[in-house]
Amino acid sequence: MTDTPSPNSVQTERARSRIAIAWDSDLAYSFRRSPVALISFAVVLLLVLSAVFAPLVAPYDPFDPGTLNLMNGFTPPGEANAFTGETFLLGTDDQGRDVFSTILFGLRISLFVGFAAVALALILGVTLGLVAGYVGGMTETVIMRIADVQLTFPAILVAMLIFGIAKGITPPEYRDQMAIWVLILAIGLSDWVQFARVVRGATLVEKSKEYVQAARLIGRSPFAIMLRHILPNVLSPVLVIATISLALAIIAEATLSFLGVGAPPTEPSLGTLIRIGQGFLFSGEWWILFFPACTLLALALSVNLLGDWLRDALNPRLR
Amino acid sequence: MTRLLLATALGIVIAVPASSETFRWASTTDPQTMDPHAVSSAPVLGFLNNVYEGLVRRGPDMTIEPSLATAWEPIGDGEGWRFTLREGVTFHDGADFTAEDVLFSYERAGSEESDVASWFAPVSEVIVVDDYTVDIMTTSPQPLFPDSIANWMMMDSGWAAANGAERPSRDTENFATRNVNGTGPFVLSDRQPDLQTVLTPFDGWWGEVEHNVTEAIFTPIQNSATAVAALLSGEVDMIEPVPVQDAERVDSNDGTRVIRGIESRVIMLGFAHDHEMLRNGEPNPFSDVRVRRAVAHAVNVPAILQTIMRGSAEPASQLVAAGTSGYSDTYGDRSAYDPDVARALLEEAGYANGFSFDFSCTNDRYLNDESVCQAIVGMLAQVGMEATLDAMPVSNYWPELREGNFDMYLLGWSPGTFDAEHPIRFLVHTAGERLGTWNFGGYSNPRIDELLPVMQSEIDPEARQAVMDEAAGIIQEDMVYVPLYVQPLLWGVREGVEVTQRPDNFLILRWVSIE
Repeated sequence: MTDTPSPNSVQTERARSRIAIAWDSDLAYSFRRSPVALISFAVVLLLVLSAVFAPLVAPYDPFDPGTLNLMNGFTPPGEANAFTGETFLLGTDDQGRDVFSTILFGLRISLFVGFAAVALALILGVTLGLVAGYVGGMTETVIMRIADVQLTFPAILVAMLIFGIAKGITPPEYRDQMAIWVLILAIGLSDWVQFARVVRGATLVEKSKEYVQAARLIGRSPFAIMLRHILPNVLSPVLVIATISLALAIIAEATLSFLGVGAPPTEPSLGTLIRIGQGFLFSGEWWILFFPACTLLALALSVNLLGDWLRDALNPRLR
Repeated sequence: MTRLLLATALGIVIAVPASSETFRWASTTDPQTMDPHAVSSAPVLGFLNNVYEGLVRRGPDMTIEPSLATAWEPIGDGEGWRFTLREGVTFHDGADFTAEDVLFSYERAGSEESDVASWFAPVSEVIVVDDYTVDIMTTSPQPLFPDSIANWMMMDSGWAAANGAERPSRDTENFATRNVNGTGPFVLSDRQPDLQTVLTPFDGWWGEVEHNVTEAIFTPIQNSATAVAALLSGEVDMIEPVPVQDAERVDSNDGTRVIRGIESRVIMLGFAHDHEMLRNGEPNPFSDVRVRRAVAHAVNVPAILQTIMRGSAEPASQLVAAGTSGYSDTYGDRSAYDPDVARALLEEAGYANGFSFDFSCTNDRYLNDESVCQAIVGMLAQVGMEATLDAMPVSNYWPELREGNFDMYLLGWSPGTFDAEHPIRFLVHTAGERLGTWNFGGYSNPRIDELLPVMQSEIDPEARQAVMDEAAGIIQEDMVYVPLYVQPLLWGVREGVEVTQRPDNFLILRWVSIE
């Protein structure tokens, strides 16, 4: 903020007043008043925290094959295994892995892929949208036509296409290590269009406003105008889309992994766990599928509800 | 009201077409080619047995019976075999089947491009005596030769020449990859790779029709749960295999049942014997027999059978299942599960701190293959061998193995001749043009190479068994492969469908009947 050193008391006061401002803002007020938002936020927070601290929370490390005992396989939740006598909270899968631990670690991968993919889509989409809206002309036409063409394909199809190409060009020995990054790339690249469209629209509106004209008159560079003046004013719709995109990205990751083209079984995401679990649906080992599916449902639903709430809260017409 | 009645009557008429019996079946693997000489794998040969035929064929109990040849007899003192061909047989396109086609099929199947050339390793020459007599000359006496060629399918020379398919194409495509012209009881009427393949009866077939199928539709369903759902909902009449975990459910369900058997297929681990380096650039530990033995001791086969295979598979001690001819009782015990012995062996070999390597595995070929491989990764990790699992569909798998892109791999082998000589010929004999064609690891032992011709020509059962025992001993001592278990056969069929299950897991459509 400022380069001049100031006494600690001033800083804390400033910080406090910032929190106070935030607490008194319309957004925070609306948040406190919405039970749906509060509950969804609590669920998301709980899931994110347990994913971040998975190595501490999880009773077992499902990624260390050396610790697994195959004889623990198919232990029902809460019951003792017939051979080893061990008990698992949510049961075990076919490899004798603790389902609870695999969910925590799977959640980690799902959330990481989701956040990273949205971040990629956001950076790409916002940049291209700003440029298209501000520069206009041929640049705009090229960017937006690419966006239109991409919109005619379902996002999941685009993701599969990118995944397939990326997998084809990575040497086989790196495929498993690269799978997560390829997944992020695929989902991120399939998702930038909506950011670009919204930002371009908002930029077109802002571009003709007086403060932008003023900035131009004093000779600021187009780059500075886009970044310092227009960007902050087009961010609120981006925030809404980003939240809803997060839910979609998590689902997209799960879909790809469920189809067997996503996270490898040695490093399972929630979608991979569901894919593995559905093989045991008919034979009665329901818990291998049920618990990961519930976790995915809770995560996607809460993020979506948060996104809905954010959209309504930021929409002045609904206030 | 009248209209409604009329509509109902029409509906009934449409719903019950006159004696049309469509048989739908599903399996995990699509036959990757329609060319009978291009790929020697059970899904391909099993499927093509319905459209192509050989000189001889196997009955329900695997015994050899006449097919396109009506009789055969040894020539002289074991110089070869004379086959008398069936007259009046035509190919699907109407061409006559004659001795020229046998000669052509020999040249094609025995060529370098063929995957089944090893069947003809002892053959020196094929002589057309007249239109319906063929002499197959061998370099040494081959008492089992007729048994070894049940899957050698006859192709029309004129058809192949006209369509530029005189040689099989293993990795690329040619006309014979998607088109079929055999003498068999069924004609290929639609082929969509990986989607569906439709067969209809061949009106001009020479044999007596026992089935009542008017159309047979094969659909590959890779996901086993989807396949079970398709069977339970009546979408398909048969699935193969039923996932072991679902066998009970399918059997107890009204309207479906499970046909069980023991397949002759042994699931085993293979190694890169002759590679200098692992894929990660480190020196290759698997060329050391102690490391291979350590693998054998580290894998807990009873645990795999107990959990993943749910008690429906048998442990294997050698490359063929007990009961196969030539099986060695002397070497009937497999290495016991003992991680301490495994660790000691690794230490002795200089790998006390373990090592990392790649483990290649299929995920759509054998029963629960990927689960088994994952479990093996865990078991090896417990003794310090850090395996990275590289699981892939079978269509990528064989090309990768042929390229040598593996350190250790999973393999299932079903002896096509029901004799222990078969896997030795394909998997253990020094790799060459006709022999050792599936010996991906490059194992080579001069004694085995010496023993193989003896197994093929020895007539005295006791003397032959002694040779088989010696070979089984060498293979076990050298731990060329680590045999794991014998795969169970589990077919799920709808009530009212009669099929015959053969231990080679081939579905023979001419034995299918639908109520």
